[in-house]
Order: sequence, then structure tokens, then C-alpha cells
Amino acid sequence: MNRIWFIMVVGSIACLIWTDPANVLNSMIDASAEALTLSVELCAVYAVWLGVLELVEASGLGEKLAKLLHPLIKKLFKIDDLQTEKMIALNMSANILGLGNAATPMGIEAMKRLDDGSGVATPAMIMLIVLNATSLQLLPNTVIGLRTSAGSASPADIILPTIIATLCTCLLGICLVKLFNHLREKVSKRSKK
Amino acid sequence: MSAYIIPVIFIALFCYAKCKKVNCYDTFVKGAKKSVPLVIDIFPYIATIMIAVALLRVSGITSMLAYVFSPIFNLLGIPSELIELVLLRPFTGSGSFALLNDVLLTYGADSYISRCACVILGCSETIFYVTTVYISQTKVKKLLYAIPIALICAVFGSVLACLLCRIM
Repeated sequence: MNRIWFIMVVGSIACLIWTDPANVLNSMIDASAEALTLSVELCAVYAVWLGVLELVEASGLGEKLAKLLHPLIKKLFKIDDLQTEKMIALNMSANILGLGNAATPMGIEAMKRLDDGSGVATPAMIMLIVLNATSLQLLPNTVIGLRTSAGSASPADIILPTIIATLCTCLLGICLVKLFNHLREKVSKRSKK
Repeated sequence: MSAYIIPVIFIALFCYAKCKKVNCYDTFVKGAKKSVPLVIDIFPYIATIMIAVALLRVSGITSMLAYVFSPIFNLLGIPSELIELVLLRPFTGSGSFALLNDVLLTYGADSYISRCACVILGCSETIFYVTTVYISQTKVKKLLYAIPIALICAVFGSVLACLLCRIM
């Protein structure tokens, strides 16, 4: 992350020195203001979803959902901790419903619980990141909304290709993570010997 | 149809909680209270990544990259009008939705290009943003292969999206 950010920022500023030096600070502050607006919006979204989440937890539904998804989560993450499983189950459910923003607080909580403090991402953490980064969402609500307002005749006809594509990317992601986790285990075993 | 899903889930949840003798009001407040510290914790991460993205766009590097990559994208079957969208998608959600809106208005909402753009956006995520926010509260510094895999999936998704739009 550090390296990527450094390259992005230094490269861009170097370019701007040639083309438009006055704009550097302005656009940085604009972006930061945009981030602030986004955060305020997110704060509102999270307040609603964390309230709902607390209800899900308190009513015992979280555990039920976790039990329901237990075989899947067990297979994907190889963990055995009910609280973490609960968070992952809720994170995945929110993602599937197309509520990426609602999934974030649960995802963060799950990541915190998966962290072993070594500074290196554990296999389960990588799985969670890739699952969230490939977005298994079945209802592309925002996209359909934009299409409707742009005057599409049948705004929902992208749902089917979207679902197929998203399922395929998700499966590919899972397979690749599994493969690399497996390789990683082998390498670390070999280095221990 | 999909508009009913959330309200129905909410009603079911509230009634279920009530049956389980949960104090809905108190519990909701307890959860909502967590949102402010959470947002304060992740704001710096959001701001930092958005600053980098804004600089990339203003400097014209993205359009330069779009030009450089266009042969590769053509080979993969992604229309060259969508290269900037594919390149920016991993970094910014709001930015890529703004780009999608441009595409929809420029080429017409039902054109092949617009439909590709919609499916590409629908099957991808803001990889760098998600990753930054998710690891922001942990001690992780090394992500190993997480980002490369996510990026491979994103490229694969874009190619597949354009293919699917051609046949469906």
C-alpha cells in the first residue's frame, strides 16, 4: 500500500509540475473535502446499519445466520470462532444484498478478530479481503438507478449478465486465494524443516 | 421487486427481536453509537486514498495510461471508451459512478458500450478502497497476494462482462 500510494502521488505531482502546478494543492484539498462529505454520509449509513446489526445480534439471529453459513465459512476461512463467523456471515449477507456500505463495519470487525498481530495478513484475512473486493452482489441497485435516469428502455436487463459475471469473478477469487494459501503453507512448512 | 426486500427484512427483524424480548430502542441506540468512532477512525484512510486518486485524474496520468493500455484492452475485447472506467474502478466508487453516468449520457443508456460499463461496475469493487478501510483497524502491513488476486479478478470480470453483453 505504501509503495502504491507513493508512486501514485509522486508521479502525479511530477506530471502536474509541467502542466498545471497551481492545481496541485487545490485538487488535494478538494479530494479531502470530498472524503469528508463521504465520511459524513457513511456515518449516517453506518448508524442505521450498526443499529440494525446490534438488533440482529441481540435477538440471536446473528448466531443462527452464522450456523446456517457455518459449512461454507468453515470451508473458505478455516476458522473456528463463533463471534468471527457471525461477523463474516453478516458481512457476506450484506454484500449479497448489494449493501456494500452496510457490510463494511462487520468486515472491519471480522478483520480485527482475524488479526494475529504479526503484521502479515493471515490466509483468512486475505480470503475476506478478496471476497469483499470481488463483490458478490446480486442486486446492482445503483447501476440500475443510473440507467433508469439516463432513459434506458429496460434498465434491469443487465442484472443477468452482472450476476453471471460477479459469480465467476468471485469463484475465480476464491480459487486463487485457496491456491495461494495452499502454496504459502507448503513454503512455510518447507522453511521450518 | 427488489425495493421490497429491505423493508420486509427490517419488519421481520424488528418483530423477531420484539418476540425475543429485546429492547429495540435501547439496542438500536447502542449500535448506532458505534458509527461515529468508526467513521472517525477510517476517515484519514479514505481521505488519503482519495487525494491520490484526485491527483492521478487531474494530472492526466489516467488518460495517458488509457492511451498506453488501449491495445491490450482491445485485445481483451474491452471497448477503448471504457478503459478509464476500468482503470479507475479499483480506486474510487463515486468517481467510477460519475464516469458511468458520463458513458450512459454520451453513448445512450441502451448501447453496447453502456451495457458493458454497467456490468463491469456491477461485478467489481473499489479494491484499494475496500482493502485500505478493512485493514485500517488491524496491525497488518503486508498483504502478500491479496491485491494482485483481486486485480486479476477485476480484469477477468471486465473481459467477461463485455463478452456477456455481446451475447445477451
